[in-house]
Amino acid sequence: MAKLTLNDLRKLRDETKKSMSQRSADGKRAEVVIGMGTCGIAAGAKAVFDAFLDEMDKAGIEDVAIKQTGCMGLCFSEPTVEVICDDMPHVVYGNVDDKTARRIVREHLAGKALVSDHIFDKPSTDIIKNTGK
Amino acid sequence: MHATLCDLMMDIIQNSVEAEATVIELTIRETEKHLEFEVRDNGKGMTSETQAKAIDPFYSDGRKHAHRRVGLGLPFLFQTAEAAGGEASLQSQEGTGTVIRFRAAAQHVDLPPFGDFTAAAAMMLTLMPKGELKITRIVHEKDYTISRSELKDALGDLHSAGNLKLLKNYIASQEEDLRKAG
Repeated sequence: MAKLTLNDLRKLRDETKKSMSQRSADGKRAEVVIGMGTCGIAAGAKAVFDAFLDEMDKAGIEDVAIKQTGCMGLCFSEPTVEVICDDMPHVVYGNVDDKTARRIVREHLAGKALVSDHIFDKPSTDIIKNTGK
Repeated sequence: MHATLCDLMMDIIQNSVEAEATVIELTIRETEKHLEFEVRDNGKGMTSETQAKAIDPFYSDGRKHAHRRVGLGLPFLFQTAEAAGGEASLQSQEGTGTVIRFRAAAQHVDLPPFGDFTAAAAMMLTLMPKGELKITRIVHEKDYTISRSELKDALGDLHSAGNLKLLKNYIASQEEDLRKAG
């Protein structure tokens, strides 16, 4: 890869913008928030961030925001990922690794189905399947 | 303990953001003998009493998590530096900011691997809600600097998955260029 300049980056952004289909008015339909406190980092938040980016790229998802936050107080279930998605319950997933991050992209963001066996913060008991875990 | 040096840097940057810093500078210098980095912020800083306690793993100010009895970020940094033939330091002034320095022997057997800097930098650059983070990487005689404000100016939104991918490619190209010469 040739060394990119800020102007190259601007051009790439404009090209990507043009090729993107118009979705919601504000351009975002979901937010993924990854815990990046000492606990989250030690548990592998960086690998999870990478997995989200890679899987969203593969799935052609560009209208989702990925953000980081500090410790959410759930250190024992790190890496934790909060997913705020239109028309879906607001959930916090716990013990998210590379594989689970990819499942969240495929199942939750693209398929509109909760990844039930990793939900940490239950939105409501009647909408979570009992997976026996 | 953190698995990589990048994880240590992310942790300290996260501290700065939590200390409400609006300007943060991360400088990483690799020479044949040493691996050093410094994080300088204009956050709320610490009193000398808090500074003394901050490197104790069994101390937390309890403001964010009321019942917490541990705070491991800075202790991990100090422990890693000491284990790897170096030292870490903390200088801070309440209301002015904090400077954290880390130094280790580059070839020390107990120095953790450097880690994936591209992903770490992308996360650090997009952690702050606003303000400036300037990252300077110096490897032997070559260097590059990236700043959150310049990237924001070029990309606009720094959080969309599409733009984050471009941001990562940009950082990866700077890293590749640095390694080519090194």
